[in-house]
Amino acid sequence: MGHAVDRLVHFVPDSLPAQPQGDISYQFGPNADVMQRRRAYVLTGLWWVNRMLQTPNPLQEKMVYFWSNHFTSGIGQGGISPQMMVNQNNLFRSNALGDYARLTHEVSRDPAMLLYLNNNQNRAQLPNENYARELMELFSLGVGNYTEADIRESARAFTGWTVNRRFGETAVFNPRFHDDGSKTFLGRTGNFTGDDIVDIIMQQPATAKYMARKFARAFIYDDPEPELVNALADRFRAARYDVGVLMNVILRSNVFYSDRAYRAIVKTPLELVIGAHKSLGATRVEPAALAALDRMGQTPMRPPNVAGWPGGALWVNTGTLLMRVNYLNQLALAKSAAAAAGNTAMGDGATMMDDMASQQALRMPANVADPSQWVSGVKMDDPAGLTDRVLWMTVQGDATPQQRQTILSYVQTDSVGNKVSLSMENFEEKVRGAMSLAFALPAYQLS
Amino acid sequence: MSNRRQFIVQSIGGFAGFLAIDSIFARAARAAAASGAAAGAGRSLLVVNLQGGNDGLNTLVPFGDPQYYRVRPTINVAASDVVRLDSEIGLNPKLAPLKPLFDQQRMAILQGVHYPNPNLSHFRSTEIWQTAAPDKYVDTGWAGRYLDFAGRGTAPNLFAGVAVGPVLPKIMVADKTDVPTIGDLRGFRFNGTRDEQAEADKILGGDGYKYPFQSPYLSLVQDVENHAHAASTQLPHMVAGYKPAIEYPKTPFGQGLNLIAGIINANVGTKVFYISLGSFDTHVGQRAAQDRLLDQLATGISAFYQDLAAHKVDDRVLTMTFSEFGRRVEENANRGTDHGTAAPMFLFGGGVKGGLYGDHPSLTDLDYGNLKWHTDFRSVYATVLERWLGVGSQPVLGSQFSTMNFV
Repeated sequence: MGHAVDRLVHFVPDSLPAQPQGDISYQFGPNADVMQRRRAYVLTGLWWVNRMLQTPNPLQEKMVYFWSNHFTSGIGQGGISPQMMVNQNNLFRSNALGDYARLTHEVSRDPAMLLYLNNNQNRAQLPNENYARELMELFSLGVGNYTEADIRESARAFTGWTVNRRFGETAVFNPRFHDDGSKTFLGRTGNFTGDDIVDIIMQQPATAKYMARKFARAFIYDDPEPELVNALADRFRAARYDVGVLMNVILRSNVFYSDRAYRAIVKTPLELVIGAHKSLGATRVEPAALAALDRMGQTPMRPPNVAGWPGGALWVNTGTLLMRVNYLNQLALAKSAAAAAGNTAMGDGATMMDDMASQQALRMPANVADPSQWVSGVKMDDPAGLTDRVLWMTVQGDATPQQRQTILSYVQTDSVGNKVSLSMENFEEKVRGAMSLAFALPAYQLS
Repeated sequence: MSNRRQFIVQSIGGFAGFLAIDSIFARAARAAAASGAAAGAGRSLLVVNLQGGNDGLNTLVPFGDPQYYRVRPTINVAASDVVRLDSEIGLNPKLAPLKPLFDQQRMAILQGVHYPNPNLSHFRSTEIWQTAAPDKYVDTGWAGRYLDFAGRGTAPNLFAGVAVGPVLPKIMVADKTDVPTIGDLRGFRFNGTRDEQAEADKILGGDGYKYPFQSPYLSLVQDVENHAHAASTQLPHMVAGYKPAIEYPKTPFGQGLNLIAGIINANVGTKVFYISLGSFDTHVGQRAAQDRLLDQLATGISAFYQDLAAHKVDDRVLTMTFSEFGRRVEENANRGTDHGTAAPMFLFGGGVKGGLYGDHPSLTDLDYGNLKWHTDFRSVYATVLERWLGVGSQPVLGSQFSTMNFV
């Protein structure tokens, strides 16, 4: 177990692209080429989900997801370009297990963030409080640990940070728009800049506590006890916000391996899709996965609002579960995943990916390994062995006796219920079908 | 969230255990059939989302105001084309199919509706309309909260709410009620091979509750899988015998309304339906794009009410439209309009007291180029909840809003 954690937290260099493959630029504004924009979104989304699948450092990509759902931004919103989202994503990657305080400084001048929370409109003459508010409410202190006056004062400190679109979409500080007057923030007074505000926030015990709870909810269970949160917060502060130290504590803790933490978290659609690709030996995620993710309620790089995806029970409803089960079924059957996403597109904003994905490249078969490799070593005359292997690969054997019997009965019978033996003719089909049924087990939705 | 968690922990037996599905289904149908007793019984609400921000000024046209033609020099609706409702105001000609409903007092138009501190982002503003919470982020939608409230203490209903479309809209997200999202009949089912079907039925239908471990979410997932399986199995039977009295438009919107009419006639106690039409985000070349969508809206709603009337259920169904915002008063350089604020809402159905409600917002007294709203959208919701669905609105909306007289 210790060795496994060591391997998780020590990242090795990877040779994966740091950038989507292809042109992700498009003209902003009313004359935007819709197809070009969709293509850019698809390429950007595919780049990220493929990194998740192909990385030799799975914890690094889990942390990138964690940060992206903490310091949220949305592609295409407020003029955020795909490239800005890629850059922000890479920022999270290079700080995956780094210093949370430093990352908060960096995020405060990240172009996507500046646009997402309107800091480009935050000027001395007319302050915009959006970033200051969310920085405290959602990114650090949590509600109840600051006042409206603290928001107004700290918003003044962030004035002047904006995005220069013409030259590389970089963040720039424009002193002309900065309010360099005196501010009073959390009981301290001075000519604070945005960096000063972040420093003061990091001195508050509430910050470590808020973050500890967030880490516990993401990695252990989503209603952590106050004792657990306090213990993690103490370690986090003592380690000066070193996320690597905190994650080591979490991954080696008894509570992480406790009964209470067992299958206590509903998989995000991304976890579900990437996990299934791994089980099936897929080397690549196809565009159809983006359409399916969209229907499961998780368009990559497009959280529902600044609070991110709330997760938990809200992932689970009739529509999303049917989509989950149907998508995994299509993947196991290696048919076009487009068929799984096959409803008529009539959605709200969230179905943007769906439109675009259905327009291109959807007919590609899922790029999975040969089914015989999924169950290599299982003998042709051993339907029980095949069933158990499939159950192990999907739910680590967490099936009830009835569920196991149901899948075994599928392996041993044909569609009208007549007994069949496994043979060269039906082996691949039965492996695919058994895998598909195992994906439909409720336990598969939980991690 | 905490409510939902408590619910999960308490609902070990599940809210739609696989053995009980038929009886629940039957109970729901009986309850619906015994309508008339309680206020709101037998009635349902259809919410239509005009997604993308529908331009109110070219929908309900203030053709009597010369300022309209000044601010809309190239994309205006000519006064001669307007379907006149009075000497000042009229409908976009594409809405002509709705005029009979207006003349029969079965169509109400509420002018100048929006919410405080308008947000011009599609995402956020849609979320505000769907959660009825302009000043905070909440996890549930107002229709979802209504379904939880109306369903308390009664047998669970598989089809208490129905959303037509690919994803569950936030308006229908509830703590306790699982609302099926139905794209179309064909897509709303497990799409495995024939060979898998019998076993998939067992797994999805609730085979095996006794796991060797505890997980608060396991029973939730199992229950919702049961629910999805039961609903997708029942739905084709429910609507199998249904014959529309009129042919619906062959658009996704028209076909969605057709499906809704079928479910209404199955009489299974559905309280809220949802469907969306779009995108109305007409930054460029507005006339053609918006006209096409308004045509779909009008022909769809017109067919829907003719069909419901033929089945004698039109008095039971109230339809309400909304859009996340109206659009900028002045047209832009691309013969389109940018994001705005206040806009009209439309209501249809037997329960409606027809006519125009509220004044048309001024085209000169503006808020940074946008119309000033005068009617809070939560007053509209409160009216629908109290006067149509027959429940108190305060538990659903969080506070008390004044009600109106359109129903």
